[in-house]
Amino acid sequence: MKYVLSFNLNGLPVDTLVKATDTLLDVLREKLNVVSPKRGCDNGDCGACTVLVNGEPVRACLTIGLTVAGKNVQTVEGLQQDGKLHPLQRAFHEHYAAQCGFCTPGMLIAAKALLDKNPKPTREQIVEGISGNLCRCGTYVEVVEAIQAVAAGKYKE
Amino acid sequence: MAEYVGQPVLRYDGIGHVTARTRYVDDIQLPGMLYIKVLTSPVHKGIIRHLDTSAAERMPGVAGVITAKDVPGKNAYGLIPDQPVFTPEHIRYKGERIAAVAAVDEDTAMEALEKIKLDIEEQEPVFDPFKAMEPGAPLVRPEGNVWEFNSGKTRKIRFGDVEKGFAEADVIVEGTYTTATNDHAPMEPQVSVAYIDETDRLAIYTVSQDLYFHLGMLTAIFNLPMNKIRYIGGTVGGGFGSKNDIHCDHVAGLMALKIRKPVKYRLTRREETAYTTKRGPWTFYFKDGVKKDGRIIARYVKTVHDTGGYAGMGPYVVDKNSILVAGPYAIPNVWVDGICVFTNKPPASSMRGFGIINGTAADQLQTARVAEAIGKDPWEVHFINAWREGDLGATQFKVEAAGLIEAMKRAAELAGIELPAHLKAMSSRGR
Amino acid sequence: MKDVLYFAPTELTEALKLLAQYGEKATILAGGTDLVPRINYYELKPEVLVYIGNLGLDYIEQSDGKLIIGAATPTAKIAASPLVAEKAAALAEAARLSASPAIRTAGTIGGNLANASPAADLATPLIALGATVVLVSAKGEREVAVEEFFKGPGETVLQPGELIKEVRVPIKKGKSVFLKLGRRKAMTLSVVNVAVYVEMEKGQRCVDARVALGAMAPVPLRCKKAEGVLQGCVLPMSALEGAEFLDKARIEKAAELAIAESSPIDDQRATAWYRRKAGKVLVARALAAAAGVAI
Repeated sequence: MKYVLSFNLNGLPVDTLVKATDTLLDVLREKLNVVSPKRGCDNGDCGACTVLVNGEPVRACLTIGLTVAGKNVQTVEGLQQDGKLHPLQRAFHEHYAAQCGFCTPGMLIAAKALLDKNPKPTREQIVEGISGNLCRCGTYVEVVEAIQAVAAGKYKE
Repeated sequence: MAEYVGQPVLRYDGIGHVTARTRYVDDIQLPGMLYIKVLTSPVHKGIIRHLDTSAAERMPGVAGVITAKDVPGKNAYGLIPDQPVFTPEHIRYKGERIAAVAAVDEDTAMEALEKIKLDIEEQEPVFDPFKAMEPGAPLVRPEGNVWEFNSGKTRKIRFGDVEKGFAEADVIVEGTYTTATNDHAPMEPQVSVAYIDETDRLAIYTVSQDLYFHLGMLTAIFNLPMNKIRYIGGTVGGGFGSKNDIHCDHVAGLMALKIRKPVKYRLTRREETAYTTKRGPWTFYFKDGVKKDGRIIARYVKTVHDTGGYAGMGPYVVDKNSILVAGPYAIPNVWVDGICVFTNKPPASSMRGFGIINGTAADQLQTARVAEAIGKDPWEVHFINAWREGDLGATQFKVEAAGLIEAMKRAAELAGIELPAHLKAMSSRGR
Repeated sequence: MKDVLYFAPTELTEALKLLAQYGEKATILAGGTDLVPRINYYELKPEVLVYIGNLGLDYIEQSDGKLIIGAATPTAKIAASPLVAEKAAALAEAARLSASPAIRTAGTIGGNLANASPAADLATPLIALGATVVLVSAKGEREVAVEEFFKGPGETVLQPGELIKEVRVPIKKGKSVFLKLGRRKAMTLSVVNVAVYVEMEKGQRCVDARVALGAMAPVPLRCKKAEGVLQGCVLPMSALEGAEFLDKARIEKAAELAIAESSPIDDQRATAWYRRKAGKVLVARALAAAAGVAI
């Protein structure tokens, strides 16, 4: 039994056939080849699959795909506008906030979710904002600095 | 070159990471790719009496099943090649591979695994390395539970005369220290993609941290010359030593060779945590002969490393630990016995530091205990005993470019600790 | 694999009809944060998924002296609600400290209760505040006290065909406090958590006290013996008459009794020994903060 799932992905409509138990992570990675959300644990622990659903950060691995029907899903593939890097992307790059890079997409989405709601967060709020995203390389300090730089307006157009 | 020296250089792969264009192995999808799941042992120790995969093979959606019989070359791998890809008979740890299924998706492969008939004669396992060394303990290995080094059942470091040192000491300080099992937990789980390429070579996308080392082992397993294997690596989502061992490439490669179709084999986080190689647990016993002024003049260390069901890099880890466990100190009399023991647990292997940091943890605790025993500040004991330029280590290597005293001074400064003047006056350049 | 059916009804009556039709075969899906890992790891093989995120059960309202929270309200919304912060401080704090941002946006209050983890963060404040859950089925509606909702780890009084519709929290005059100890600050289950509610007459005499412990028993636990020794006690400097002084010693006595009522276990997060030690400290701190007593 397959269901048709229709939703908006990074501003464009998509339709795909899914099983009831397919997670949003399965849908994005395996069906649509949108691979920025990473499969790190399938358990909601690591945060590497964090995406935005209607602007809210969620774990793609904990979200049953069919529940996003009709909603807007944003991933790192949709961060760039007109070919230009998003300020967070530039800041992460220039602050060495990615080492192996596997946690980076989830970190970027968590950071975007935070700044969209709270453009001038305190350091503590930034730490809280990425508290669900693990980085085994230990780039937390650089990630926080990159987000602080964006919040301080250093990466405006 | 000059334009880079002293300048921050942005990562060449940084843009790839922040745009998610970096392609990790699990991001690769090939047309018609099948998914592998592996049947692992549900028991810690036993003998496979019967294995029947026919019902799984007949299941719709299943493309192939492989077992130990499908290994064309040597069914063994590792730095010390003692671990089978699929165990043909003996089970030495829970989670040991028995058979693999390739199917249209992982759900189907999981269902097929349930159709494999497996009859295991369960045996009594042993988990504690000290119990494993006792006479009459269940045998993890037919040759015995203690690894044979070229120096016998212990890795021996002998320097000076420890008994003489103990006789001359003012105080004897003893201590036993243990460290636990660790999992590497890289963000990217173990994964492999294999297919037969357009020139009939076996191509494998790997997360290996050690391509040529692994390629050598794979040629033996597949019974293929190196030029028939395209081993494609380079992008690793964290390894921390876990990807110094093969976890998926052998299974994926064997399956691709048998069914001639692209396959992906990836471990779930739970499979990886439960069944893959670990930093093995250690027990350290120290006995130091100490002078009242703080000089350690004799150090005896006995270490027991639990390497699990297979050698992995365990004996190598014991080698490295034995060389350095006595610490960065000019101790004239040193005796180290390093023992590597098999138990019914997942194999211990490489993880950041290969046993050295475990030894350092023990050595630092023991040295603090030495300081306590003679009523001195631990800094004092560290400074007095630290290697100076030209000192001899316990393996008789000459210390060159010594810098421990300078490093300790800087560490104290950063920690906001004011060292006494006589320690500040010390230098690695002389005693 | 057997085909799994999926339904996403938009009306409560429609959902209840589906639950009645499929009975034990139906698995209710809300935020999925507890349910989906079990599906991912084949621990749970659902036959019918009924998604309740489109039923309009996402609301926080004040009505008839009660705070009414829809079962599908995400934890993040509870943590951010000024109304909850004002009327049910312990619940707001528990929501704020639970999991991490991307879990809080998905996980719901109804799911946190229905999952029936002994460590469920939202359960203890609801017990301390005297909250009830409204359970609905095709047959009708019933209201159950949160403290009577749990039967064991993963087990509740919910019957097949029944759904949590909302949580009702009485708005009271006293002060509620929630404290949590985890292995780390965020993204962690409780090693132990404590919620208390204390009402002080004229700020001086305890007229109502409720104590709830999480991760200390097979279910989130109300500690009635501990509550009993606080009833009627007065602050040492009070002009009011009271049976006993509500002071450091009394609060420690209550904490001791609370721990004596509990039955913690050893697990990967902590030993029972540690849970008792830490739990006692947390109960005392929470009571002291709620009663305005220095300890």
